[in-house]
Amino acid sequence: MSLDKLGSSLRSALRKIIGAPLVDEVLVKEVVKDIQRALITSDVNVKLVMDLSKKIEKRALEEKLPAGLSKREHVIKIVYDELVKFVGEKPSELRISKDGFKIMMIGIEGSGKTTSIAKLARFFQRKGYKPVLICADVHRLGAYEQLQQLAAQLNVPFHGNLNSTDAVKIVEESLSKIEKKNLVIIDTAGRHKSETELMDEMKKLAEVAQLNEKLLTIDATIGQQAGVQAKAFHEAIGITGVVLTKLDGAAKGGGALSAVATTGVPIKFIGVGEKIDEFELFDPQSFISRLLGMGDLKALLEKAEELPKEIKEVDVTKFLAGKFTLQDLYSQFEAMQKMGPLKKILQMVPGFGLSAELPEDFYKLSEEKLKKFRVILDSMTDKELESPEIINRSRMQRIARGSGTKMEDIKELLKQYQIAKRLFKSLRKGRFPALDKALRQMGLKKFK
Amino acid sequence: MFNSLKEKLAQFTKKIAEVADKKSEAEVAAVKPTLVEKTKALFKGEIILDEKDLTPVFDDLETSLLESDVALPVIEEIVKSIKMQLVGKKIKRNENLPTYVQGVLKNAIQQVLISAKPEEILNRIKKRDPARPFVIMFVGINGTGKTVTIAKFAKFLQDHGIKSVMAASDTFRAGAIEQLEKHGKNLGIRVIKHEPGADPAAVAFDAIEHAKARKLDVVLIDTAGRMQTDVNLMEEMKKIHRVTKPDLVIFVGDSLTGHDMIMQSKEFNDATEIDGVILTKMDSDARGGSALSISYVIKKPILFLGIGQKYEDLIAFNQKWMANRLLGEANVAG
Ligand SMILES: Nc1nc2c(ncn2[C@@H]2O[C@H](COP(=O)(O)OP(=O)(O)OP(=O)(O)O)[C@@H](O)[C@H]2O)c(=O)[nH]1
Ligand SMILES: Nc1nc2c(ncn2[C@@H]2O[C@H](COP(=O)(O)OP(=O)(O)OP(=O)(O)O)[C@@H](O)[C@H]2O)c(=O)[nH]1
Ligand SMILES: [Mg+2]
Ligand SMILES: [Mg+2]
Repeated sequence: MSLDKLGSSLRSALRKIIGAPLVDEVLVKEVVKDIQRALITSDVNVKLVMDLSKKIEKRALEEKLPAGLSKREHVIKIVYDELVKFVGEKPSELRISKDGFKIMMIGIEGSGKTTSIAKLARFFQRKGYKPVLICADVHRLGAYEQLQQLAAQLNVPFHGNLNSTDAVKIVEESLSKIEKKNLVIIDTAGRHKSETELMDEMKKLAEVAQLNEKLLTIDATIGQQAGVQAKAFHEAIGITGVVLTKLDGAAKGGGALSAVATTGVPIKFIGVGEKIDEFELFDPQSFISRLLGMGDLKALLEKAEELPKEIKEVDVTKFLAGKFTLQDLYSQFEAMQKMGPLKKILQMVPGFGLSAELPEDFYKLSEEKLKKFRVILDSMTDKELESPEIINRSRMQRIARGSGTKMEDIKELLKQYQIAKRLFKSLRKGRFPALDKALRQMGLKKFK
Repeated sequence: MFNSLKEKLAQFTKKIAEVADKKSEAEVAAVKPTLVEKTKALFKGEIILDEKDLTPVFDDLETSLLESDVALPVIEEIVKSIKMQLVGKKIKRNENLPTYVQGVLKNAIQQVLISAKPEEILNRIKKRDPARPFVIMFVGINGTGKTVTIAKFAKFLQDHGIKSVMAASDTFRAGAIEQLEKHGKNLGIRVIKHEPGADPAAVAFDAIEHAKARKLDVVLIDTAGRMQTDVNLMEEMKKIHRVTKPDLVIFVGDSLTGHDMIMQSKEFNDATEIDGVILTKMDSDARGGSALSISYVIKKPILFLGIGQKYEDLIAFNQKWMANRLLGEANVAG
């Protein structure tokens, strides 16, 4: 019996059913659509999502499926790769010099600048630096008192002038009083790109302060405006990093992705609460998991890492062959030995939910049992191998004797064969009793 | 690897997917015009709309709404219901389909967006039980603009001859009490405060007592910003609500907000029923699609928009203007 022949008869059978040859485009498109949805509802810029989807779809269709990953997992891995390109592989640290360092915090109204300054001061205080805070917000009422109280909590020096409305002058004067080697952090008023006077004020502040870092706070709840606003700040003074605040809520912070995509600067810290200690270094991996709405990304990435680079290609055409013989069953068993449990294999292909139909035992054929099956098959005549239905009780006794196995072993082998045959028959006829379920399991509807 | 099997199974999957698609289209097919009907209509200079014609038009509109920050589930719901109405409908052949559909969508949006005239609030205040001040509580997540909005609102009341007192019930955030006090000083409005960390409900209660004693019309309660996911803080807010029994709960939302607005408005509405909404920072170029999300989710009117940091930067909400803005049309007040 030749594999080629089987293959071609199958192909023609399929052609009859479907009419057109195609790859697993449908699946890829569906998964990409899900990811699109996740990113859009996480507030990533719509155009960015569209561009990304095209790239992802192309890669997912063209790239070889890595061994051990399901198609869905592969697409997610590609998405991760593409997203990591924006935010960087590793957390980007804020390196500051002990010989003096100046940071200015800027951002839209209410995004969390003042609070983040206190958090930043605490962060570096812990590392042995001596932060000094300057209030250059002369617009918001109570801004001075807010930062002053936070400075008192931290027990760090605070500069500002309640009676002045000239932010630039306040910064100049404060800096002249502060020793050069300190870590200075400057708070500014909230502003957005349309407030031209305030944008000009910010430019002047940046000029006089001679800053090392200009950090933009981005509120995790912001939507589609994130990118354009960040761009305006960047064009005005050249930001060097992003602080993503309010990630303790339900918002995913996709706006920050749009911001880093348009400015090319890294996200450095995240705010995860109102309190001074609720502040963390940015971690690309957990951020992307959150964007995609998946907690299991870490496990998936590890799995992708660990996978053996190459597993020998196995022809599994017979799975769907017009004729399914005992010989075929054996070659499937052998293939399984090479590739790992059948369940895994089925999980890697569309329709894998079908595996739910198979009893658990089917997947767990031990080495030993396989050997036994081999000798049993060796003791069968060609006729028996081709048409197992002719194996009656007396034939069974003969085979058992010839192979040195028990009747039960032969019955078991025949049972496995029946199960497999039934499954493949239904596959062949295009009957998918569990298809809905399978689709769901494949994550085509929703994934967690 | 597994290419052969993969392909084969994919083909099966595709076929099934196609069948499944047809099934979901069946609902629409019920009103799907037949060829005969279509031809008849053509003679009368009309076209009968079917799904196929509508889909590309809606795709564009959906993108436009997404870019305006309307939440995706909200867009889908609205679009679905309009699509159902449109399939099978006859329109004049010389009608431009995108323009026609956009018009229908704009109408639908205007119906979802509810507004309440500022005069209605003033009337309610005037018609209240004279023995008790009219109590308004402002709630929302962190940094949306509650405190500044309260100051603007107090100014609005003042301009209409209504006297108010403000309660500094944000006793948590650094500088919050001072912030409100300074606004009070600017406006000549009394601010009732306790120490930082005090019970916010007690502050609000005192403000009500103060208003009763001084025969003031309105008590404006400034609450701390809180994440809708923070159970304890949401409970604290409920307590303020129980103690003060406000006549009006106003949710202050940031117009720059994206998809979180669905959950924000829902959770706040579940905790202390929201009576009206004020959206801030509309001067920031935000299209403010969250207005539509909120209206859709909680079905409560939008009262005002904040359009700047000054006291006078509070304007009445207008559905028509908003609907145009959401669809990315000329940004002119109508
Ligand atoms: N839950 C939560 N709240 C935060 C976080 N960061 C800041 N906030 C809160 O957000 C609100 C605004 O924070 P501020 O630090 O005053 O914001 P700002 O950007 O300085 O505001 P302006 O100076 O008015 O522009 C406050 O209620 C903060 O407590 C965070 O990471 N999580
Ligand atoms: N441009 C602009 N800024 C606004 C508007 N409304 C409020 N702001 C600014 O937003 C920032 C936050 O306003 P607040 O009133 O302190 O916000 P909040 O909701 O009380 O903040 P928390 O109490 O910390 O939760 C301030 O800088 C305000 O000046 C508006 O309509 N336009
Ligand atoms: Mg501030
Ligand atoms: Mg406040």
